[in-house]
Amino acid sequence: MITHIDLQAVLRTSLAAPYADLVTRPTGRAVRASIEEALDADAAVALLDFTGVGLIDFSCADEIVAKLSREVRVLLVRGLTEGHREALEPVLEAAGLAVLCAQADGTLDAVGRQASAESLLEELLLRRVATRTAAGAVALTPA
Amino acid sequence: MTRLVEVPTQFDDRTFDQFAASYAAAAMDGARLLFDAHATEWASPYGLVGLLAAGQAAGGGEKPLLTVPTNADVAGYWARAGFFREAAELFEVHGKVPRVRPAEESDVLLPVTPVRAAEDVHEVVSRIQQRASAILAAKVGLDPRATMGFAMALSEACQNIVEHAGTGGWVAVQSYRWRRRLARRVVVIAVADAGVGFQHSLEPSQARRFGGRWGDAAALEAALIQGVSRFRDPGRGQGLAGIRRYLTRWNGKIAIRSGTARIAIVPSWDDDVPMQEDLAPFPGAQVLLIVPEQDSAEP
Repeated sequence: MITHIDLQAVLRTSLAAPYADLVTRPTGRAVRASIEEALDADAAVALLDFTGVGLIDFSCADEIVAKLSREVRVLLVRGLTEGHREALEPVLEAAGLAVLCAQADGTLDAVGRQASAESLLEELLLRRVATRTAAGAVALTPA
Repeated sequence: MTRLVEVPTQFDDRTFDQFAASYAAAAMDGARLLFDAHATEWASPYGLVGLLAAGQAAGGGEKPLLTVPTNADVAGYWARAGFFREAAELFEVHGKVPRVRPAEESDVLLPVTPVRAAEDVHEVVSRIQQRASAILAAKVGLDPRATMGFAMALSEACQNIVEHAGTGGWVAVQSYRWRRRLARRVVVIAVADAGVGFQHSLEPSQARRFGGRWGDAAALEAALIQGVSRFRDPGRGQGLAGIRRYLTRWNGKIAIRSGTARIAIVPSWDDDVPMQEDLAPFPGAQVLLIVPEQDSAEP
């Protein structure tokens, strides 16, 4: 089972002011705390939906994505823009971490350290949350 | 007794050390300071935020004095850049301050803006995205991808104040044609504070590692080149590293002055030096980021 997190909604409710961007460490900590509250203690697979989120800076990429990826077994992301990816890639790479980005067709690609991403894909296949496609890619199993 | 601090005629990162030396000499005995900008003919965003940092540092007791540039165009630009709005809090201002609203000209992408807390960084990032994206793409020729990274770099540069300075600071962003060194348009981010500086911030976690070499230069090297942070959290130090990556990709420049040292990552178009030591002491940290207009063949 995948726990879905709407990041834009979490951002709206975690801060006193209605900001559209994930910037600064305090913002990242507040958003992560809200996400942790929403996650079940035994949540193994979580999906962060970036749709509608403006900018994410390196600090928030670390506070939210890198730290959460250490807390749940597999962290998926969706709705990434090129700008989001530009912040996430180096932060995850530097930490030796990865998350998997779900494309519109359900296939998954790696963001961050490739070796870490491979083990995440294996975990999803084992949990039957994802399957191999005929083309050899790994895609989320339709809910 | 009042001591004079001369503001250079052309006040930018190149002449800042002359200003810092004048400041250090005048501030030694705690006398009231007079910052004399009456003859100043031009100031970059770096000069403007640096002058505010000096006013912040000198403001322990009686407010320092500041004379306004006598050249009406210069004073007008300082007003449009939002300088006097901030200066009024720090200085007893003498001279004619033009009544203009800040940021009415397109080259001022972000007027001089105070940064004290995370909320201010949100505000700065939001404003720069609304105002600057189109200008950066159309006038400075920045790739749209460079524009996204620009806001990220700006956010991280401002956060250095919030996270490390122990006091407030200022940021300003401007684009202009840089005839002297590059013959291209550039966009410049200048961030300054009069806080604790890099050496003090990193001392508890880094001083032992550097031993006898420890000082302002070593602290700047640790932060910018080695990506260390005062926090033990392994994810820290991402901000300056991200700024470096961004500027390397877009052939830009970063220079940071703190205490008695200044470090720079120098692109091929510039003749700056990577490290300067034994400069006149100046409190806090002053950060300069420059992104040049892109050739169609770059990056």
